[in-house]
Amino acid sequence: MSSVSFWSSLKEEARKNYIAIFEQEWPTWLAGIFLALVALLIFLWKGPWGVAAGYRNVGDWIFYFGGVGEDRPYSPLLHPITLTSGGLLIGAFVSALMSRQFKLHKAPPLEYAKSAIGGVFMGAGAVLAAGCNVGGFYTAAAMLDLGGVAMMAGLIIGAWIGLRYLLWEMEHVPQKGVVQHPPSDKWLGVQPYIGGTTMFLVIAAFYLYSVFDNTELGGLLFFGFLIGLIMHRSRFCFVRAFRCPFMTGDAEMVKVVAMSLVIYGMGTAVIKWAWIQEPSMGVSHNFWMGSLFGGAIFGVGMLIAGGCASSTLWRIGEGQTKMVVTLIAFALTNSLLARTLKSFELYDKMGQGLFIPDTLTWYVTVPIFIVFFVFWAFVAIWNEKSEKLVIF
Amino acid sequence: MDLKNLMPFSVLDARGLTCPMPLLKTKKELKAVPEGEILEIWGTDPGSKNDIPHFGDRGGNSFLGLFDDDEGYTRYFIRKG
Repeated sequence: MSSVSFWSSLKEEARKNYIAIFEQEWPTWLAGIFLALVALLIFLWKGPWGVAAGYRNVGDWIFYFGGVGEDRPYSPLLHPITLTSGGLLIGAFVSALMSRQFKLHKAPPLEYAKSAIGGVFMGAGAVLAAGCNVGGFYTAAAMLDLGGVAMMAGLIIGAWIGLRYLLWEMEHVPQKGVVQHPPSDKWLGVQPYIGGTTMFLVIAAFYLYSVFDNTELGGLLFFGFLIGLIMHRSRFCFVRAFRCPFMTGDAEMVKVVAMSLVIYGMGTAVIKWAWIQEPSMGVSHNFWMGSLFGGAIFGVGMLIAGGCASSTLWRIGEGQTKMVVTLIAFALTNSLLARTLKSFELYDKMGQGLFIPDTLTWYVTVPIFIVFFVFWAFVAIWNEKSEKLVIF
Repeated sequence: MDLKNLMPFSVLDARGLTCPMPLLKTKKELKAVPEGEILEIWGTDPGSKNDIPHFGDRGGNSFLGLFDDDEGYTRYFIRKG
């Protein structure tokens, strides 16, 4: 008979789970499932998950403080998408601290310039497509808006162009490595305590929002936090799904995003078909012109910057200083271009949402949706073996 | 395998570079390495810890391993196949 006490057993189990959750990296396929489930929870809780509107809110505030624009922007603490995106960044920050991986990463000067240029492209593309890689592609496709598929085509084109640029840069612009100093043992030891305290504050914020009759907003902050945690633990990057088939032929991320989209899309179909949420909800993307061209511009930007709208946030959370430049450039461009297009009444000319079941019926839409994304995954698998699409 | 005593054919310094540049430069540099020789890569991007081992085992090449150097960067080793 063992003499292990209840508390020592509990401590041992907690230690094992801490290692499994925060020290071992999560497989991306598991993250793809979790991401789809949290996105569905957000859809049920409030509405479709998006990211770019949060960037625009930040840009609006920067312009407001700079004296541009008279209307006071929406408070970021009351803006649903800014809160979700803020939660994403905090979730990644907590994840990085809990795994003792938070570190301020310096980059060569050219990388900061590329971060700014990439942010400008992404900010502009997200205006045209009425969403970023999340709202304009991942969520739009899952909402069964054809604009999501048009943006996907644009992202593929943009990733190809962006990769061509990176290849040119590699051949013609030499870059020296930057020496990074290792973190001290003291800093490594204290990180999990800061992470744990921050996680406690996020949970406390949820209850605080509830106290002020804003449970919905508190929930969005918490869902964003979960997404940040999932993305950082698995290093979930949408860019890889569009870049790797051309760069190394690797199909892993295409398979993960396709699988995640099938779960997210089919969950959405159940929710909409059963009228749990309004079927037209989230069908507001600029099909086809805005989605396609916006997607292409966004795709170029995410390759140059080295991150999309969501991965920019979780990379900031782990201490990538260059991605802060991307965030600011994205936010300012998005805010400025959205104002400009609206003032010239050009925004509505980019296209409009097209709800696929309205055209093809639910009975045809559901199997076509599944077949389309499974086909995408199979093309990537074929390319992984044949390298027919690899350009380098 | 004692990675610290390996004799690489060439060393790629990708410290400070972020995704996808370390992987892109690794792929380019590996093309210039003769068959059977070793390429060593120095990197600081956390994402490279997934990307480089995964890539290093493809196309007939072998990823030999990695370790974190005391100077604050990670050293990766790929043998050209």
